[in-house]
Amino acid sequence: MKPEERSEYLEEYAEDKKKGIPFFPDAVFKDVLVGLTVLIVLIGFAYFGGAPLEERADPSDADYTPRPEWYFLWLFQLLKYFPGNLEFVGVILLPALGFAILFAMPYLDRTRLRHFRSRTWVMGSMGVAVAAMGFLTVQSMIDIPLPANVTGEINAAALFTEHCSVCHGTAIEIHEGTNLHETIAGGHEGMPAFAATLSIDEIDALSGFLVSPQGGAIFTANCAECHDSGDLAAVSPFELQAALSQGTGYAAHADLDIPEWEEVVFGQDRTALLNFLLAPDGQRLYGLYCSECHGPAIDWDGDRDQLEVLIREGGNHREMTQWRDVLPDSEITLLALYVVEPSSSPDGEPLFAQHCADCHGVRVPTAVDIETAVEIIADGMSHRSMPLWGDVLTEEQLTALTTYTLDASRGTPTLIGQALFGRLCSTCHGDFGEGGPHPSDPTNIIAPISTAIYLETRDDATIRAIISKGPSEGMAPFLESEGGPLTSDEIDALVAFIRAWEDDPPVEFPPEIEQGPVAGGSRQVFSTFCAQCHGEDGAGGADLVGPSLTSDTFQNAYSDEELFASIDRGHSATSMIAWGDVLTAGQVEGLVEHIRSLVSRTIVYSRDIEPIFQASCSACHGSLGGWDSSSMQLVIESGDSGPAVIPGDPEGSNLVRSLRGTGMQTMPPAGELSDVQIDLIVEWITGGATEEVTIGGEQAGGSAYTWTVDVQPILAASCGACHGSSGGWDAATYDSTINSGNGGPAVSPGNADGSSLAQRLLGNGALMPPGSALSDDQIQIIIDWINNGAAR
Amino acid sequence: MIEKIDLWFEERMGWRPIWKALALRNIPKVTWAYTLGSATLLVMVNQILTGILLTIYYVPSPQDAYNSVSFITNEITAGWLIRGLHHWGASAMVILAGLHMIRVVVHGAYKFPREVTWFTGLGLLAVTMAFGFTGYLLPWDQKAYWATTVGTRMLEVVPVIGPWLLRFARGGEELSAVTLTRFYGMHIWVLPALLMLLIGIHMFLVVRIGISAPPKASETEEEGPELEVEA
Ligand code: HEM
Ligand code: HEM
Repeated sequence: MKPEERSEYLEEYAEDKKKGIPFFPDAVFKDVLVGLTVLIVLIGFAYFGGAPLEERADPSDADYTPRPEWYFLWLFQLLKYFPGNLEFVGVILLPALGFAILFAMPYLDRTRLRHFRSRTWVMGSMGVAVAAMGFLTVQSMIDIPLPANVTGEINAAALFTEHCSVCHGTAIEIHEGTNLHETIAGGHEGMPAFAATLSIDEIDALSGFLVSPQGGAIFTANCAECHDSGDLAAVSPFELQAALSQGTGYAAHADLDIPEWEEVVFGQDRTALLNFLLAPDGQRLYGLYCSECHGPAIDWDGDRDQLEVLIREGGNHREMTQWRDVLPDSEITLLALYVVEPSSSPDGEPLFAQHCADCHGVRVPTAVDIETAVEIIADGMSHRSMPLWGDVLTEEQLTALTTYTLDASRGTPTLIGQALFGRLCSTCHGDFGEGGPHPSDPTNIIAPISTAIYLETRDDATIRAIISKGPSEGMAPFLESEGGPLTSDEIDALVAFIRAWEDDPPVEFPPEIEQGPVAGGSRQVFSTFCAQCHGEDGAGGADLVGPSLTSDTFQNAYSDEELFASIDRGHSATSMIAWGDVLTAGQVEGLVEHIRSLVSRTIVYSRDIEPIFQASCSACHGSLGGWDSSSMQLVIESGDSGPAVIPGDPEGSNLVRSLRGTGMQTMPPAGELSDVQIDLIVEWITGGATEEVTIGGEQAGGSAYTWTVDVQPILAASCGACHGSSGGWDAATYDSTINSGNGGPAVSPGNADGSSLAQRLLGNGALMPPGSALSDDQIQIIIDWINNGAAR
Repeated sequence: MIEKIDLWFEERMGWRPIWKALALRNIPKVTWAYTLGSATLLVMVNQILTGILLTIYYVPSPQDAYNSVSFITNEITAGWLIRGLHHWGASAMVILAGLHMIRVVVHGAYKFPREVTWFTGLGLLAVTMAFGFTGYLLPWDQKAYWATTVGTRMLEVVPVIGPWLLRFARGGEELSAVTLTRFYGMHIWVLPALLMLLIGIHMFLVVRIGISAPPKASETEEEGPELEVEA
């Protein structure tokens, strides 16, 4: 616009303004009217449409079809028309260009003309732009594009359409060297891990489909009529080879009207087809073809080329000594026997270990019969052991296989991961990822990370992110760049190790719990169930899942009630199940007592008890009369109604009654002591209420079995039905157990051999219980109990 | 009575000139299409008010975000309304701003002397879209998580700095707690500040320069032939 045009406009505008309307109230009225309408529409939407909220975000849910908010859909759709490297054009360049044009509008449309009819250009462009955005938006709502190379009923194509095309559009450009299998299974860069959604065969089919679209087309044209691509994916390459080269000579194809495949599918096409059927994924190939003989990894320290030659040429890659020059015939025969049937030749085993294991490892080679075996061993030399993979695998497959084998030989990530886990993670997460109390804060229970449910709901990317950056609380980031100690490779190894738990869950519940209620005294229950994780003596241990129950921290952290609750209800987050489901309340109570008895604790009055009184009682209970808390002697002897403490008898002590609120008045009136504190005082009284009281500390083992705790439950469960007070031996009470019996007392304390109870249980004389002996453990308990004096 | 109050304030605040300048000015005869801007403004105020109310209960952490949003929707008195207004308001604001912009283009109102109004308007549009993008993640539900996953992934295609941009937007390689707090910070602090700045200038100019008059179809004929050549 020229200067004179500008001033002309301003003049004209001033004129329009003068002839115009007042902003208030005329224009405001319109604005308010429209505003109100908009508001009512909004409230209507809020009322009828609500504020949508879907399921909580689940990073592992690969099935969710992502959709941006509607006003970004056009951009999202644009992405699909610009695959591969061109994405940039669609997503960034075009929108940026659009925005730049908008910015430049006052300079692109620079005439003084303002009426739309005189600005066809601008109106036209705007119309096109708006229409295009509208079109793209609609398109994106209705359209899930089919991949360009779908030519038939290939299930891989359906998989692609379902899982990939939403984000990737019609095609994905795959960079050389991408491990597709891993990418699809493990996800990357915002792409979810599909391992949870797709089977390995499906992932393989997808990889093949992506790597070799040409193979897909050949498959569709020639094989799809009878075969599903997924079916052929896991077939041995030798079969494929045979099927392709023998034409109708191939048994399964014999009756079919098919061409000689050699003439139809050869060269490039054949390679493409094979790559399509079995994607060049080293790990998968190794797993299918090599691991059976070579285990999880071979031991290889040569270079890559040598390895590739070996795999390609297979067979004769190792020369075996001519054993006839080394060993006497007798030993060769022993070895041959051992090889044919290991159990028939126990002497062969050390020989094998000495001479063969170096090369053969623990895998004993098999031979059809003794003669062949003798011949092979005696002749040595190169005996064909490995197929010539070069004949059956494509170049791509060979390369992938070589790469993987080489990597695996350098130490599988899981091994590295295991070492790292042991060093850095197990302190808190346990050796098996089972979790447990936080080492520095036992009340904080760390949930297990090795359970199936945990692993299923978190993909590798998530676990990697948690390790790298730390979860929101409790754990520091471990990645170097976040200030942690680990490189990104090391974290990958950790993830691999953790992931391996999925196939091989380390935390297993004792099978016994499947059987419902169990019988037994607390000691027995403890050694059957608790000891598995906490150790026989309850002290935990390096290779045990559970924490120590005997540590001071543990013993002091929980009151009896809390212990009872823990056992009864378990910790939902750990392998500590709710034992209340399989044990009776009495048994759980017994366990609490048992756990307490595991440690001997010394309660020192001045150290442990006095501070409690000082803090909570001394303000009122001084020397003013009534109970006086100021010294140990006064604590025991003073009191309104006689001594407050009766040493050895907490239940009869007024102090305890007051503290528990079972007496006249609950003390302290301002608020009860904690359970832990009350327990401590009770124990002190139980132990005699002296300056130093030692409690608990019976050792696990025979000496401490008692009738009440250990023996009675066994007898009640297995003998009580018949052996009541109706005559003969009576298992109902302690006294009757010992003294009754058809031929005199059934138990002579201190002498199991001379006790008919023990002998009958062992089956000396008519076995008791008739027909079904007690378990060895139970019998042992009773024998030990008798031998140690048959304590009550 | 009203006069008295008016006077009382006038004596203490001297607000009449401001009222006069804002409300009692004349504007050209305008059409209904001119209400689109104020409608956008109204929805904007709605977003700010409901947005502020939402922040009272909203907790920006992956553990709590979803629960807090669901609490707002289901438990709090009129929570559904506040969230509903904010949710639908976001779409309404995008639509209205778009329509308002189309009106501006149709009227050629970006021309002299309103170029700066136009530029700030574009800024407002960008900020609005950014509000929509960052806000969408906040409920931390499935659509939020996955839409943001693919949305941020688009940044990666930028040559050279793409991966860096992606990490910047997500606060790491993957969507995480960091992404959420980052988006929350944008949505609650950064973008509102930008919005205030831009809308301030935008409105100031609308009042200061005055709203454009609807162009007249006769404009071409009125002018001399030499000007037509340039057109
Ligand atoms: C948050 C979004 C926006 C708000 C709240 C807003 C608000 C307003 C209001 C109230 C007016 C007064 C006239 C009318 O209502 O039409 C106006 C005018 C204007 N707006 Fe906006 N606007 C926004 C976005 C935009 C956008 C996206 C553009 C263009 C890119 C824009 C460009 C303009 C221009 C050029 C004027 C002057 C029009 C004239 O004088 O005829 N605004 N805006
Ligand atoms: C231009 C203005 C704004 C736009 C376009 C906008 C957009 C959005 C969107 C699309 C959501 C997701 C809502 C849903 O899907 O339910 C959202 C959520 C949210 N916004 Fe805004 N917002 C704006 C302004 C504000 C402001 C100014 C605040 C606060 C100061 C705010 C606070 C919130 C909060 C706390 C949430 C999460 C709660 C929820 O999802 O219901 N917003 N916003």
